[in-house]
Order: sequence, then C-alpha cells, then structure tokens
Amino acid sequence: MSEPVVVDRVTKRFAGHTAVNALSLSVPSGIIYGLLGPNGAGKTTTLRMIMDIYEPDDGSVRLFGQVGGGRTHSARIGYLPEERGLYPRMRVIDVLVFLAEAKGVSRRAARIKALEWLERLGLIDWRLRKVSDLSKGMQQKVQFISTILHDPELVILDEPFSGLDPVNSQVLRDTVVDYRRRGKTVLFSTHIMEHAEQLCDRLCIIARGKKLIDGTLAEVKRTHGGQHLIVAFDGSQGGAQRIFSDRRLVAKIQDFGQQAELELANGADPQEILRGLVESGARLARFELASPSLHKIFVDLVGPEAATAAAIPATTAAGVGAGA
Amino acid sequence: MHKVWAVIRREFVERVRTRWFWISAILGPILFGGVIVYQIMQSLGGGVRDIAVVDSTTTGFGARVTEALATNPSFRATRVTAGPRVVDSLTRLVEAKQLNGFLIISDALSETGKAEYRASNLSLQTVEGLERALNKVVVKVRLETKGVNPDVVDWAQGMKITLDQTKIARGGTTKESAGESFALAYVMAILLFMAILLYGVNVMSSVLEEKTTRIIEVLVSSLRPFELMLGKVAGAGAVSFFQFVIWGVSARLLISLRVPIARALGADASAAQGIKLPHIPFATLAVFMAFFLGGFLLYSAMFAAVGAMSSNEQEARQAQQPVTYLLMISYFSIIGLTNDPSSTFARTLSIVPFTSPIATPVRWTAGSMGVGELGASLAMLLIGIVAITWIAARIYRVGILMTGKRPTMKELVRWVRA
Repeated sequence: MSEPVVVDRVTKRFAGHTAVNALSLSVPSGIIYGLLGPNGAGKTTTLRMIMDIYEPDDGSVRLFGQVGGGRTHSARIGYLPEERGLYPRMRVIDVLVFLAEAKGVSRRAARIKALEWLERLGLIDWRLRKVSDLSKGMQQKVQFISTILHDPELVILDEPFSGLDPVNSQVLRDTVVDYRRRGKTVLFSTHIMEHAEQLCDRLCIIARGKKLIDGTLAEVKRTHGGQHLIVAFDGSQGGAQRIFSDRRLVAKIQDFGQQAELELANGADPQEILRGLVESGARLARFELASPSLHKIFVDLVGPEAATAAAIPATTAAGVGAGA
Repeated sequence: MHKVWAVIRREFVERVRTRWFWISAILGPILFGGVIVYQIMQSLGGGVRDIAVVDSTTTGFGARVTEALATNPSFRATRVTAGPRVVDSLTRLVEAKQLNGFLIISDALSETGKAEYRASNLSLQTVEGLERALNKVVVKVRLETKGVNPDVVDWAQGMKITLDQTKIARGGTTKESAGESFALAYVMAILLFMAILLYGVNVMSSVLEEKTTRIIEVLVSSLRPFELMLGKVAGAGAVSFFQFVIWGVSARLLISLRVPIARALGADASAAQGIKLPHIPFATLAVFMAFFLGGFLLYSAMFAAVGAMSSNEQEARQAQQPVTYLLMISYFSIIGLTNDPSSTFARTLSIVPFTSPIATPVRWTAGSMGVGELGASLAMLLIGIVAITWIAARIYRVGILMTGKRPTMKELVRWVRA
C-alpha cells in the first residue's frame, strides 16, 4: 500500500519570509506520525499545504499515492485545524451533516454517522440545540466528531491538544490510538514533546521551515544524545550541585529542582556519581539510567530559545497569511 | 457539485430559519393589506373634511361657494358670517379637532383671486378641491358681471375633460396612465435597491461569520474558495427570490380578496373594484428579474470580497461603504430617471454595470428604451459580473484566511495579481 502522505521538497514563501523551506517527509500507512517544532517553525503551513489550503510555491504533495492534496481527497481525510470553530447559530446535527457533505459525504450517510457519534460521546440530547448553547468542552467534542465522522483513512490534526480540557484530551488520545489499531494513519503537529513521546511511532522535527531530523522514535533517540541519567531527590540534595558541575562526569544538565536530567560525559561511570551523591548526604528517590527524553533532544536540536518559544503567545498573522 | 449544493442549501435553510426572514415576509403583505383597507375606508367617507366658510362678502358669494363645495363628496361645508370673534373661535374648534379647517373669503376674491384656508392639516388633495370649487364660482360670477346668462355659464362648465392616455413604446401602444407608469418604475427601483443591498450585505455577513469563527479553514480544505463563494451567493440569491415570491403571491391573494374585505368593512363591492395592481407586462417582469439577478450577482460578489478582507463587523461596516455608495448613485438618480428616462444621464446610467441593475428596469418600464439598448445594457452587465466576480474571488481566496489588520489598497492589488 502506498504511503498516505508524501511531501516532496515543498517551499512556501510569504511576504518577507520563507515559512517552509524545501521540506520533504513521508508518512507510512497505519502509524501515528508527529510533526514537531517550536512555534513559527512551519508546522501549520506544512499541514495547510497538505490540505490544499495553501498552494506550495515549489514542490508537491501526493496523498494516497495519487496526485492532488486534501481537497481532492477530502472524503478520505479528517482535518482538525489549530484554530477551531463551528457555526454558532446552527443546530449541532445540521453543522455535522453540512461539514460532512462539504467533504463529499452523502447527506443520508452523514446523518446516520453524526447521530452515532453524538450518542457515543453523550451529546445525543443536544443534537437539536444551537452550537452556541453548548459548553466549550461540548463544542470541542462536536468539532472532533466533525473531523472523524466520515471514518477517514487519514487524520490530520494541527496542535490537537491545545485548549482541550483534560476529559476531551483523553477522548482524543484514545481515539488516536484506536485509529492506529484499526490500521488508519494519523498525522499531527505539536510543540508539546510529552504528547509526541507518548503517541508517535515516527516523528519529524522542524525549525525555521527546515527539517532537522526524522525517523522512528527509537531511531531519533539512538542517534541523538548519549547516556542519560535521571536523578530525583527526596528532601536533602546534599552536595549534589558540586558533583553535577564536575565536567569530567556530567556533560550537560537540565535541573528541574527536585529532579534533574543529566547527560553523562564521555567515559563517565554512573556508579561514581551514585557513590558521590550518597557520600555527599543527598537523599535519593530515583536514580535511573535512561535514553534521553524527546524534550531533551528537541531542546538540543532547536536551541533553548526556540524551545521555550512555546510560552510566547502566538502572534496573529499580518501580511498574506503569514501564519506558521 | 454535490459540495456546492451543500453550501447553497445551508445558506438558504439557515437564512429562511431566521426570525428576520419571516418578519419581512409578513411585513410586506401587512403593508399592502393596509393600503387596500385604507383605500376602502376612504371610499366609506373617512376622507370627508368638515369645513367652515367664513363669509364677509356682500353679494351672496359665500353662499354660492358653500353650495359649490356641497357638490363635492369630499367636503361638508357650513357658511358662517364673518364677525369680530369668528376666526378665533373657529381656530379653537380646529384645535379641538371638531373642524378640519376654514375658508376665509371676501369681496376681493373675484377681483384678486385671493382667499385664505386655515386648517390643522393641509393636504394637497383638500387644497386642490377647494381651489377648483372657488375657481368655478369666481369664473361664473365674473362672467355674470359682464352680462353672460348664468345658464349659459352652467352649460359651458358642465363638461369634464378627460385625456385618454396611451403610451407609445417599443413599436406598440399600451393603455397606461402617466401616474401608473411612473409609480411602477419608482416602486421597482426602490425594490431593486433594497433587495440588492439587503441580500448583498447578507452575503457579506455570512462570509465574515465563517472567517471569524475560523470554520473557513475546514471548508477551504474541502471546497475551492470559488465554489464556496458561488454557493454562498447562490444561496442568498435563492432566499431573496423566495422572499419576492412570498410577497408576489400574497399581493395577488389580497387583490383577489378585495371584495370580501370591502364587504367585511361595510363598503360596497364597487369601492374595492377600483383597487388593482398595475398591469405589468411579461417583458417588464422579465427585465426586472434579469436585472435584479445581475445586480445581485455583481454586488454580492463585491460584498463577499468586503467580508473576506475584514476581520470583524466594525471593519466590514467601514469597508462596505464604497460598495454601498456605488449602489446609492442609482438610488439617488431614481427621480431624475423617472422624470426624463431618455436623457443622456439616464442612458449613461443604464450602460454602466454598477448602475444599470436599477437604471435599466426603470427606463424600460418608462418605455424609453429600445430592445437594442436593452441588449447592450445586459451585455455590459454580464461583462461587469464576470470581471468583478473574477477580482472578488481572488480577494476572497486570500482574504478568508487572513487575520489581523485590514489589507491596504496595495496589498489588495497584490492579492488580485497573485
């Protein structure tokens, strides 16, 4: 079976800057694929090009091994944009049926599926109410139903977890995992590494419109970062700081206060650190050799400023669709 | 095509479901019914004016005026001899609504032609009726003073002249009075203006809604922007057409019920028979519908572009002004058009696509337009629609995905060229 998504050297320039620069990626069938990057890296622009919302200036997008992007294949794709919205004055059932029809699904089939999903997510009693009467969490569910109502083979989610309440976040996670189990493909973008680490089979990290690395989670971890050590304290840290700053033992450290992630220096023996910590009077809750977290790899790759850019509120795009 | 249908249906169903659609659908017939009832009530004597004739003449002139007024069913006149306090007390009666007004006449009338009428309400109809009656009496009195036999005068005045009006237009003639033709053209122009503006703005707010709620992104990933715009315009157009149908059918229904309505109000059937819709030839109706459709397409494409380039209601209100002004040009020209439909000014308006949707039906109705000119006007409108829709679609395509500040003129030009 051909790969559901193949992006071939696409470039998109907006007034003044290049949002995506000769980016290639391919998403194999039946997996969860994460597109990772700091804000402004070009994730949304890439997904929008896949969905035919933007036309690439260079390069091409192929879906399901055929020419044409998301619009041509809209009945086979579920797309959830980052900025979500519904018609506030329409009835819930009507919105769902309309959005499915716009994708090319027949009216009758759309109606049956919509009712099924409303029943499953506990919104069946709200089907004739206006969207604006629903709580924010319920609206998120409706939005989510509209994405997957037509049982698409490929689901594309742009920052799907942003703004979700914990309940809906879990519903989404379950559905994504369930989708993969049923042999469908999920492509999603995020700047939150924890989500990616939990869900992704494969991933691609991009920054400033360029690909930095891609591959399976294990491959990425193997190629990046040496031996890692996670140390958590139980109260007293003793002389830990002195040992952590010994460059013969520790190459890099991310100190979270009660917990620290260390990258060992070349040839350093973790047992020596353990001995040193115990002798210095530190009380340990955890001492674990581990592969580096995705977060760590991400920070190393894109640089600390870019990684923390997640905390900066997204600025509204000015100029011709300068959104990331 | 299935996708475009979905957009059209959504646009139509959601609009027709709104309260405002039904309010305006009902308001039309209520207004029209009101006009019918008003006319029947008029015939019942609701329109009779109570008038006093303050007579300071010495020749029995006042009595003759009172007599002449009595022959007109619109007046009930009483003669009052002039006195020191008469005007004051009559003024009080007028203020107390016991009298509609009073006419003051003196001997000077037959020399200078001047009299005075004081009333709480000076309607054109009343004043004309009074002037006609006075004129008749004065002419008679003046002829008598020159020795003409009063019977001869009566005989001479006892004939009413009527002009049989026939309109020569487009190689044929139609029985139609000047008033009817004018009124029809005028009503059409107002209807066209209102409908194009109202439903054009509807398209704009619908575009804006999709943009501000961000639902546009999902839509554009399934439909081409042009398909979406087309569906929207067609849907809103269908709603306005439906509105016209409701008004048309209810007007016909009310007309066919005018006799029972008259009976219910206690008037006789003849009072109602006089009320009729002006005769609208099929060709006129076709021209009206064609230019409404054309004007609607032209302006709603512009309104769609305005909606797409704005990011909130306030911005849209500002950005729509140039478009509204463009439509206003023809609105303010209606009087000029109806007064002289064959002037160069009128000809120009009917060839320019932005004004022809209103100007051409008006000139056609007034009968001052040949088939050739009509064809030219329609062709220009079609060219205008294609050109404007092309430009609007390009602005729409980029604009719907934009947030932030409104684009400058320079940026708009770049969008269109891109």
